[in-house]
This record gives sequence, structure tokens and C-alpha cells, in this order.
Amino acid sequence: MTRIIEIPASFDDRTFDQFAGMFGEWPPAERLLFDARAAQWASPYGLIGILTAAQALSEAGAERPIFTAPLNDDVKRYWARTGFFRHAADFFEIHGRIPKVAEGPSDTLLDVTPIRAMDDVHKVVGDVPERAARILQEQLNIKASETVRFSMALSEACQNIVEHSGTGGWVAVQAYTWRRRLGRRVVVIAVSDGGIGFRRSLEPAHAKRYGERWGDGAALEAGLVQNVSRFRDPGRGQGIASIKRSVDHWNGKISIRSGTARLAIVPDWDDEAPLAEHLPFFPGAQVQITIPAKDAPSA
Amino acid sequence: MIETFRLHQLLRETVSAPYRCLVTRPTGAAIRDRIERALSESGCVTALLDFAEVELIDFSCADEVVAKLVLGGETGAGPYVVLQGLAEHQREAVEHVLNHRHLAVTALLEQPEQPAVLGCADPDTRLAFCSVCEAGPADEELLAARLGWARERAAQALAMLATLRLARCYDGSFHPVPVR
Repeated sequence: MTRIIEIPASFDDRTFDQFAGMFGEWPPAERLLFDARAAQWASPYGLIGILTAAQALSEAGAERPIFTAPLNDDVKRYWARTGFFRHAADFFEIHGRIPKVAEGPSDTLLDVTPIRAMDDVHKVVGDVPERAARILQEQLNIKASETVRFSMALSEACQNIVEHSGTGGWVAVQAYTWRRRLGRRVVVIAVSDGGIGFRRSLEPAHAKRYGERWGDGAALEAGLVQNVSRFRDPGRGQGIASIKRSVDHWNGKISIRSGTARLAIVPDWDDEAPLAEHLPFFPGAQVQITIPAKDAPSA
Repeated sequence: MIETFRLHQLLRETVSAPYRCLVTRPTGAAIRDRIERALSESGCVTALLDFAEVELIDFSCADEVVAKLVLGGETGAGPYVVLQGLAEHQREAVEHVLNHRHLAVTALLEQPEQPAVLGCADPDTRLAFCSVCEAGPADEELLAARLGWARERAAQALAMLATLRLARCYDGSFHPVPVR
């Protein structure tokens, strides 16, 4: 038996639950076929979500899944340029011709990048400033001097994978236009892992305090709103606090999905419910940080 | 008397790649470990952390390097920690982690560099700090006279300066932390 995981035609944070819902029990008993033939577009969140699922399946000892590439050549080329197929080849049996293209399109701030160790965080933070400064300034009207704030948020988000997930993960950053949702350019930082997730990470130190309320939603609230950490050291939990400060500064948005819940700090320009529970399970934690262009859109 | 630690240099010695960003907790812990080992053999009064050429410091690394060094010195045995060469965004990160742990540190912030308090100190403590740095050592009587305060208020402010390791207390007076 093979279970079909249909990649949404437009795959981003809003269609992610649809994707997660196709796995059924985790890990699925059947071999999986990720069908991306009808895909028209995917955000960094969507692309690294696919890789996260594949990595988690591999770590769970599941049979190597099949991936059928998008039929649309432009989509395929774009996914190839972000580095998606290069990493997907490590986890999938890929069906469909993959174009050979130079990686790194002009609006990609950071290609799909694995985060396995702290050295990867150093590399990511060390490599992005020049591109980040240009894109933040030219496309978002954000001063080049704020690149540092951007790099700090990226650093904290990536090191959470290494510190807390119990496995490796992925990061990708991209600038694009949110026509319907915002009518402006945005930069989206997407960070994802298929590890233990917020609930299991925080459970030993914090579940008791929540009693029967404890679950994925309460764990996200503890981590994102109260900045608690699984470590007893009172200085811990400052990484997410740092990201929230920057997000607030930019009037941006941070959303974290873990297990069966998603919690967001929602700015006035967005209408998402802050907390969503009882979602289809997906392993680990998926973070999206959205930085909108200031005032006048520049693209 | 003063031992200077160039964080950029320590970073280069700690991580293999030539990056100038102080990021991640393990990196911060490794740098702090090097500083603590050097201090254990140094006998200096002031550990001066120089941020020149450091591109950025994230909150996690700031907590590991600065806050934990200051915290370690709270026993009163270690040297006084002083920061220099902080850019505005670095100051924000350091100040955040110090506030979170209710700590404070002496920093040389402006040009020409004047000592200032960074972190969690109340207004009286900050005024007492400025008085001791600008007008010289003081006991509670002298500080009360300088600032027009009741003696008890001056005593409290000076006691807080000592608790936060923002001044040295000897010979019956509170002295600025040596920075040069």
C-alpha cells in the first residue's frame, strides 16, 4: 500500500495543515508518495516542511518515500534554484526530470539550508548580511543598519533547532509579495525541524504547573508567550524573547506550529487566530517569521 | 590591574570559520570559559571585555558571555567586569540579558568613553555611580552632601553599587571600578 501525500497547489503556512492531515497516524505505516505534480508555488515554509517530513520519516525508519516533481517547468526551476531538490535527493526517490540550474535566485535571501550543528548557525548568520542588507533596504524600506537585528532573529531561530529539537532541521529565507494578504513585499524566515516538539521538550519542567491544560497549545504558550525553557537556568528562553522584540519592532508576525497546535503573535494587518489547536499532528516545530515592508511598497 | 579580552580575537580562536558574529550559547560558553581560565591566573581587578570588530552578539551569546561572567563575579571574589566598544544593537542585547537576571555592569559607551551603568539599576544607584565616577570616591556622608540626599538614602545607593559590583569599597569609601 502507498499513501499519497498531495502537495497543495499553493503551499505555505495557510495550507500546511492540509498537508499535515494527509499523513494519518505518525509515522505512517505505508510507503508515502509525495505528489507535487500539481504544485504551482511553495513558500520557504512549505518547501522545508516537505524536507522535514522526509527527514522525520527517515529517522523513524520508514521506507524511503517517493517524490513526484512539479509538472510546471517554472515551478521546478524555482524549487531547484532554492536548493530544494539537492536536499530532497537525500531522502526521496525522486520521479520526474529535475532541471540543472544555478542555485540562488535574486529574491532568495537564504537557500534551503540544513541546520545540524551550531557551526551551521555561524555559517548562516555569517553568510547572509550582505544579501539581507540589500533586500531589506531595497524591497522592504528597512534600513541596512537593521540587518543586525535580522541576523540576530535568524540566529536565535536556528539555534533552537540544535538546542531543543533532538535532531537537525532546515531554514530558508525568501522575499516575495503577499498580494492578497497584505499587498506588500515581505521577507519570510522559515525554520523547521521534525524533532521532539515544544510539548515533549518542556514537559519535564513545566507540565505540572498546567495540570490538565497541558498539551501542544499550552507548551507553545509557555515557550512563546512566557519565554520558559526546559533548562533550569533562569537566563534561558531569551532567544524567543529576542525574536519577539525584533518582530514587534518590524510590526511583523511570528507563528509557531508544534504537534497539533499553532500559536502566533498576530499584528493588526493579519486576521489569523492567535491559537489553533486540534490540528493534524506534524512532528517537531515549524516557525515562520514574517517581516513586512514599511509603509510604501517598493516592488 | 586591568586585563583586556578582545572578544573578536577570542571568537576567532574558538570557532574554526572566520566569522565576526558572537552567536549561539555553546560559542558564548566557550569564550566565557577561556576568559574565566585566564582570570583565574591573572589576579587583575578589572576584566575589560572589548567588543571592537564584533559584528553582532545575539541574546543567547550575550547571556553566556556577559551575564554569566557578571553573575560569577557576584560572589565578590572575581574581578569587576567592564564592557567597551559596544555598538548600539550590541548594547540592546547585553542590556536585555542583564535586566532579565537583575544584573548591572560598568560600560564605556560614549566618545570620549565615560563609564555608564548598563543593566538593572534604579535611578538612585545610577546617580550615585555618576557621582563616584565624576567627582571621586565617596562615603555616605559625602555622597549625601553632594546630591542633597538624606544620609540613609545615600547609604542605600552606595550599598547597591557595591552589591551590583559597580564600585569598589575600601578604606571606608566607595571608589570607581578601574577602567584605564
